[in-house]
Amino acid sequence: MIALIRFQVAGYVRSLRILHPLIVVALVVVLVLVQGPSGPDATDLAVGTFGDVAAFMFPIWAWAARALLDTQPDEQRALTATAARRRSMPTYAGLLSAYGVNVCLGIVALAVPLLQALQVGAPGRAILAGCALNLLVAVPGTLLGAWTSRPLIPGPGVSLLALLSAATALVLLGLGRLSWLSVPMIEWLRSAHDGAAEFTARFPAIALHLALWSVLVGTAYVALAHRRP
Amino acid sequence: MLRDVTLTLLPGRVTEVTGRNGAGKSTLLRVIAGLRGPHKGIVKDRPRRVGYAPERFPVDQPFTVRGYLGHMAAIRRVPADPVGAWAERLGFGHLLDVRLPELSKGSAQKVGLAQALMDDPGLLILDEPFAGLDAATRAALPALISEFAAEGAIVVVSDHQRCIEALPGIDRLRVDNGTVTSIPSEKTDWTVLEVEVPEDEADTVETKLRADGYRVRRRKR
Repeated sequence: MIALIRFQVAGYVRSLRILHPLIVVALVVVLVLVQGPSGPDATDLAVGTFGDVAAFMFPIWAWAARALLDTQPDEQRALTATAARRRSMPTYAGLLSAYGVNVCLGIVALAVPLLQALQVGAPGRAILAGCALNLLVAVPGTLLGAWTSRPLIPGPGVSLLALLSAATALVLLGLGRLSWLSVPMIEWLRSAHDGAAEFTARFPAIALHLALWSVLVGTAYVALAHRRP
Repeated sequence: MLRDVTLTLLPGRVTEVTGRNGAGKSTLLRVIAGLRGPHKGIVKDRPRRVGYAPERFPVDQPFTVRGYLGHMAAIRRVPADPVGAWAERLGFGHLLDVRLPELSKGSAQKVGLAQALMDDPGLLILDEPFAGLDAATRAALPALISEFAAEGAIVVVSDHQRCIEALPGIDRLRVDNGTVTSIPSEKTDWTVLEVEVPEDEADTVETKLRADGYRVRRRKR
């Protein structure tokens, strides 16, 4: 498994595809996030930034995961599958590789907000919840990218359209009555901007929602990926 | 689409798959390799270690030959040391530090063969392995294929170039009109020829004879 993950990540990094999301994240960090929170609500603003980063990174994580899973040519996927001896192994390795890369992108995005939150004295529990939120949101982001990657959607144009449509649909779905079907983006944004105490109190429910969504969508992805040639 | 395919591939045998372009040879090979599942039916008792060399090796990857084979060895959980030996044997030792996209078709084919052979496979599947190979490797490959079969591997080869048809005792499958039929091999009458060799050379001679497709029984005097 580790060798498979190393192979996938090495291919993604060496192909320089990693630069695309990295440049976008670096630009956002430089242009937006370095302007840290100030004023009487600095603590609440700092905590709210964790929610903003998770919401902003969600489509970036999906995009990066899709690019990583698309790095291997189709025939190489076949060679990797025979080399791995178990057909399911590359699927799991692909997801773990994409999640690992997404966590690294998340660290780049969160480094500055984390320092700012510490500087303004945001509560430790809220900071931890903010970091955990981002770790959790990276999972559905990765899964969204996996669902739109080439093994499932071979056409690059169609898969990009599917990625954008699915990301938009999930946001819109989160606004209405069927919000329980979507990732709880509106909830985490709202609670993160309602103050540190509110965010910490509502975090377990948000985490549970994210975990259930990830398990269901992830299981469906693995089942479908195994059926594909 | 292939229908009503029932076949048994035996360890120690080489099976040649023939058929016109687009008949489904590669599909059959991929099903045998476990890369595709049949819509109906099963493939059972497939050996755990499968070596698969595709018709076109995917060169569009950001690795050197050494780096790529090192990764494949790690995934197969075999030491990376034999990579150099296979590279020398297949004649691309001087290309180990060349990037995959810069390889010629024949050299890429050799890399594809090396990654399939490095794990001592129990099932070896070669899809048009002779395409683009230089004359020396093309001449050496049939003996190599026989060697793997002699060691007990199931070997399945799709071969348009008719390079392995000269191997004695191979099985033949024909893919046509969505079916797979076994072509009866030319009946060969076998005879026993006793050859005496010095004891310290017995292994070498046995390996050589087996590689040439002969059946060998050893007996001490």
